[in-house]
Amino acid sequence: MRVFRLLFLVCWPWFATFANAEKVTIAAAADLKFAMDEIVSAFKSTNPGADVGVVYGSSGNFYTQLKQGAPYDLFFSADIAYPRDLVNSGLAASEVKPYAFGRIVLWSASLDASRMTLESLTDPKITRIAIANPKHAPYGQRAEEALRSAGLWEKIEPKLVYGENIAQTAQFVQTGNAQVGIIALSLAVSPELASKGGYWLVPENLHQPLEQGYVITKRAENNALARRFADYIAGKDARAIMIKYGFVLPGEIAGS
Amino acid sequence: MDILLSDSDVRSLWLTARLAGTVTIILLLVGTPIAWWLARTRARWKGAIGAVVALPLVLPPSVLGFYLLLAMGPSGPVGKVTQVLGLGLLPFTFWGLVVASAFYSLPFMVQPLQTAFEAIGERPLEVAATLRASPLDAFFTVAVPLALPGFLTASILTFTHTVGEFGVVLMIGGNLPGVTRVASVQIYDHVQALEYAEAHRLAAVMLIFSFLVLLALYAWRPNLKKAS
Amino acid sequence: MENIQACFRLNLPSFRLDVDLDVPARGVTAFFGPSGSGKTTLLRCTAGLERAPEGRLTVAGEVWQDAHHWIPTHKRPLGYVFQEASLFPHITVLGNLRYGRRRISDAARVSVDQAIELLGIGHLLERRPERLSGGERQRVAIARALAVNPRLLLMDEPLAALDLKRKQEILPYLERLHAELEIPVFYVSHSPDEVGRLADHLVVMEAGRVLASGPLAETLARLDLPIRLGEDAGAILDATVGTVDKPWHLMRLDFSGGSLWARDSGLPIGHRVRVRVLARDVSLADQLGHSSIQNVLDGRVDAISEDEHPGLALVRLQVGEAMFLARLTKRAASSLGLKVGKKLWVQVKSVALLQ
Repeated sequence: MRVFRLLFLVCWPWFATFANAEKVTIAAAADLKFAMDEIVSAFKSTNPGADVGVVYGSSGNFYTQLKQGAPYDLFFSADIAYPRDLVNSGLAASEVKPYAFGRIVLWSASLDASRMTLESLTDPKITRIAIANPKHAPYGQRAEEALRSAGLWEKIEPKLVYGENIAQTAQFVQTGNAQVGIIALSLAVSPELASKGGYWLVPENLHQPLEQGYVITKRAENNALARRFADYIAGKDARAIMIKYGFVLPGEIAGS
Repeated sequence: MDILLSDSDVRSLWLTARLAGTVTIILLLVGTPIAWWLARTRARWKGAIGAVVALPLVLPPSVLGFYLLLAMGPSGPVGKVTQVLGLGLLPFTFWGLVVASAFYSLPFMVQPLQTAFEAIGERPLEVAATLRASPLDAFFTVAVPLALPGFLTASILTFTHTVGEFGVVLMIGGNLPGVTRVASVQIYDHVQALEYAEAHRLAAVMLIFSFLVLLALYAWRPNLKKAS
Repeated sequence: MENIQACFRLNLPSFRLDVDLDVPARGVTAFFGPSGSGKTTLLRCTAGLERAPEGRLTVAGEVWQDAHHWIPTHKRPLGYVFQEASLFPHITVLGNLRYGRRRISDAARVSVDQAIELLGIGHLLERRPERLSGGERQRVAIARALAVNPRLLLMDEPLAALDLKRKQEILPYLERLHAELEIPVFYVSHSPDEVGRLADHLVVMEAGRVLASGPLAETLARLDLPIRLGEDAGAILDATVGTVDKPWHLMRLDFSGGSLWARDSGLPIGHRVRVRVLARDVSLADQLGHSSIQNVLDGRVDAISEDEHPGLALVRLQVGEAMFLARLTKRAASSLGLKVGKKLWVQVKSVALLQ
């Protein structure tokens, strides 16, 4: 009997974590990495005891997972099309709300990208350029659009390497394996990347707007914490953090 | 095939086969002496070398991919060497994948070979020596023929394991069509792009291929035991 | 005369070898001793399969190992027959025979064909080793070792893994080898019967050391050796068939010191044979009477020693130039008044023909 009691005591914390009702898991596009971390810690400071976890990754990947019943309560997508599709499929518990417009930049860890333009990418000294995979990553699609609008796609395509998502694209550049990359502004201004090289903002008239949106999933229909966090994102504090990371917010003018 | 699979799918399959074939040949050349040494040495650091060879069995591909990306990058030790040699940088190239896959599949070549060499024992080589065969001569005329089943098993396992590789390729490949976009990555891309039908078709090809190879291997091994 | 000089000192965790030998580079030298006495290790050192850190080996004037030279196994002109045949399983019998042959350049005393004929394996050439009997395999292994034209043939208990019937199958081939080839042989064995049949020279080993080394008959008749072969203690004689007594089915075997009658085995007159007379089959008498024992020789006590049992004594007798051993109780020895130099009748009850 004592063995069982001991076993129960040892296992208690394990089961106890399931019993915690106040918990929310967020699936967030990789470009939100730094901004969302800051927002979550700000949210926690005003909501002590709230258990908020964030998973970063590719929006397309999250979308596929959510379709298969992945346990995320909130979905922040780099492309608003994905959450809209979830609403149409009846897998959402809220309307889709836009939270920001994403911007793309040229960024390099070894060169001064702030003096570059897209034309600079044709320089033969630049042999490797990283972009996110345009096939499924929203930032990659905007990068391709911008290069096409600038009439550079055919020249530059042979130099391209494709990141799985925007964070891996940045990592290819950060490790120097690609000299330049087209990445999210929100990553380029983050403390980790801002210390190196520099960035050049790609004019937004060269690509479709990258409208980003979020939604509460079906699973979190009765999760009060999820709703509180969704409201917090629309609030003043969260918006200030988003602006700090270069996101253009709905209802504001771009290009600060 | 063309009716079912798109050009880029076929290209990814061909690339996969080329990568797996190249890695198998390179590992036959590199893994055989390692396996031979491990099977016969009494050196104290045999254990350490054996453990290093076996590391990829337990290491997550992300660890290997991360270190390879850093090592082969412009400021990494391997990257510096390849640049000095005029080979450029290895990430995002076919040969970069070959190097990474060779590390990743090394235990699948070395371990079956080591077992095969150990099973031969000292005696046949001693006999060969008393029949005037130099150690190298004895290796090729006695050890290799006796270890032939081991060579076949090791080659098949290495080939199929390289075909099944995904994580390391994703981390250092850069997803270049015809260069680093192997079938496993191509399937991943299809899934990411919500092209489930395409993903299904390519995945089915991989599934059938892997099953047939393993079926051949397992059907052939019992026969081998009966014969010996 | 050309000799083989072997001196090895080897310290292994569980075993020590310390030998210094000088044996003739012709005929069969048998290494005899209990298991663990170092016979096989000595053979391996001779072949270069084991490297004794301190060693010197000269074969017929050629240095194979000393402080400055080390010839690796594959460059030593030797043949080696292992206890298990150890044929290469992936090639045919003929492939096995040719394996070593292809790797030698010098003109051979023994051709592959001759080796095939000598060992009687002509009908097996296309077979795979797995389809041979144990005895056939060992014959192929011996032929394979001969085909490399060895200047020294090393045989490590080549019959030990075989049952009695297979041994009987192979022994005649070994005797032919002995009789027809000029190759010196090191033959490791713990079978007194094999040693008696094949050896010219005997090296007795124990615990990594050489206890005795000398011509076979002389060494076997030594009384100071702790290994006396137990029930098999006895003397070896080389003799010739002198005459045959057809009506009684007997033949007379003449040796240097007398003659013995044995059962007629159909051998021609003048044929050389080797016989063994066991100590337990020899009795002694100080006067002649009527007896069933037909073989009575004139001998002289050469030495007396303790036997394994406290009630027994082992007596060595000189008959002409030959030596006999006799085993008798100490009481019998005492009543006969045995002492060295005493002349006696040596009565031999039974003679075993070894070849």
